[in-house]
Amino acid sequence: MKKFIIGLLKVLGLTYVILFIVFYFDLDGKFLYYIWEPNIVTRYDKMKKKDNTKTPYEKKENVMPDSEVEKRTFN
Amino acid sequence: MKNFTVKGFLNQFISVQAGKKVVDDAKTGEIRDKRVSIQERIGNGIKNFDLKKTIDVFLNGRPHEERRLGDLYIGNTGLYKHREWRGFKDTMYYFNMIWLYNYGHMVMDIFKGDEPLAFFKGVWRYRWMGQTYLSVMHWFDRGLEGLRGEALKASAWHYRAMVSETIRQFMRMFAADKKLHLGMENEYWKKTIAHDETVSGNIFYPWRDVLDDVPLQMIPYFVSCHVNNKTVLNYIDAMQSIGLPADPCPMCQAESGLFVEDDYPDYSPVMVTSNEACDGSVATSIITDWFLDRPLFAMPQPMRFDDPLVQKHCQEEIEECWKFIEKEMGVPFDFEQYKKYAESFNKLTEFEHEKWDVAANTPYYPINGVAQALYRIYYSQDGDREIWHETDAHVKKILDKCVKNKIETFPKTRHRAIAWSCAPLYYSNWCTWAYNCWGINTIINMDSLMFDQMLRTDTYEHALEDLATFNELAPMRSMAVGGHEHIFQLWDYMERFNCDMVIMYDQLQCKGMQGIKGMFEDEFRKRNIHAIWVPHALPDKRTVSRREIRSIINDYMTTVMQEEPLDPTLLDFDDSESW
Repeated sequence: MKKFIIGLLKVLGLTYVILFIVFYFDLDGKFLYYIWEPNIVTRYDKMKKKDNTKTPYEKKENVMPDSEVEKRTFN
Repeated sequence: MKNFTVKGFLNQFISVQAGKKVVDDAKTGEIRDKRVSIQERIGNGIKNFDLKKTIDVFLNGRPHEERRLGDLYIGNTGLYKHREWRGFKDTMYYFNMIWLYNYGHMVMDIFKGDEPLAFFKGVWRYRWMGQTYLSVMHWFDRGLEGLRGEALKASAWHYRAMVSETIRQFMRMFAADKKLHLGMENEYWKKTIAHDETVSGNIFYPWRDVLDDVPLQMIPYFVSCHVNNKTVLNYIDAMQSIGLPADPCPMCQAESGLFVEDDYPDYSPVMVTSNEACDGSVATSIITDWFLDRPLFAMPQPMRFDDPLVQKHCQEEIEECWKFIEKEMGVPFDFEQYKKYAESFNKLTEFEHEKWDVAANTPYYPINGVAQALYRIYYSQDGDREIWHETDAHVKKILDKCVKNKIETFPKTRHRAIAWSCAPLYYSNWCTWAYNCWGINTIINMDSLMFDQMLRTDTYEHALEDLATFNELAPMRSMAVGGHEHIFQLWDYMERFNCDMVIMYDQLQCKGMQGIKGMFEDEFRKRNIHAIWVPHALPDKRTVSRREIRSIINDYMTTVMQEEPLDPTLLDFDDSESW
């Protein structure tokens, strides 16, 4: 048990040190900037998407009752 | 994985170009020169080594004038060679309580969401998600640069709250999103109300316990500009590609571009729009109506809101909106719910007043300009949420400590500035730079001062009246385009907050504010006020770059104020490719 706890503490300590190195040398930023972002952007650029400009634009139903619309319409 | 190419990945990873450069440098002798230079630096370092000073820097960090923060940047990327050493205590605070804490809590927030796995689908599907929000810790870095002690802590809590609320919103959108669920309308979709980001969250309190309301553009557009300003450019360009001229407000362009790019989550059966509080963008509702193609209620905020007849009209509009929600969502209006959340929201306003009191009358205010501005506009627009109360409790402890112990949180303050009009979203952290470089401390800004009212809940009539006023005082409407008498409230606020300098934002594509520029210049001269005009194009960094903004402030500080910078390395640097 004692050995396990010491082992666990060692792993946690080492993880903490590694994380501090990542933090201090901005390795998270460098990874995201140089590796993640260019690759994910390439994906979005190539992604096939629906052409929303083909959505028909026509008169919609009023969401208010007709009486309200009439009240607010300037003649 | 369809678009993944091994070659592309390796190019990024191994950086073939960098390898070629090393070979070239070896041939020209540059490497040898660099080696000699490094040897000299090490030699000088050993010669001039001062143990006492080294220990002092390790424990307390460098004094402000010796920090040389500009030397930490890598080229034009905005990345750091290494993050700033702020002294042992503050660096460990930043590492443990900001960096680690926030990464950890971000994961927890995602798993607290309605459907955690939808996060990955969202990253894979939406540009504004995958490109923007993963780099959020750099947003902290930029906003909190140079801060120490209580100012670091209090400002970081504000950032934490914004991140948490952002995650809550996009997790709800993803859980309900038809596009991420093979076109299926699930229970979340049926129980979520979509609305424009400038329609106040307060409007939807009567259904908060049963339905959720999420602003459509807040996360895909508004917050994304602050975190990674590259993403939004796609949406602006998309809108212009279908024929919109380049000169309308780029905010509306970007919001509409989300539809053109098909980059909006489809998470609600209804939509409530506004005129984005600016009549130049009435058309945004029409475009939204076209693309969303579902029941939509347009609730524009009136321009001249002082008129009592307009107040009455605004109340009727809100009531109609409530009827629309009842009808479309099939859930009855509940005034008791409205009261509960409005009263809770009033507590946030109460604490905001307390903060303003300290900011206005003491040098002990622990929140920097960017944290103050973004947090305030975010929560006041978003409405009552638990995270704002949690954050205020943390900040109150820090605020009380600063006042009690008379801690000067920004000790290098040379000027107390008020920032007026609408800020550049791609450079909201300019005030962090201005303090580090020039000692210009932005005490308050226009966006923070909107929504300055309590919501009465004693009767339905009072509640509606106050809510209508609140709705009328929407972002940009309240002061920027709500009539010149409101824009000129600047002079009163300058006095109230004891400011000696104005940073006057000049949104080049805002026709409302452009019309009054000359009057402002006359008033500045007449009142003998130091005012620096900061031109920008809201989310679009291509019109006026961040470097140009810094250069304008530098010019004013050296020529008119005849002052020396606190940190000369921050005067001019290239961050054109940074987030």
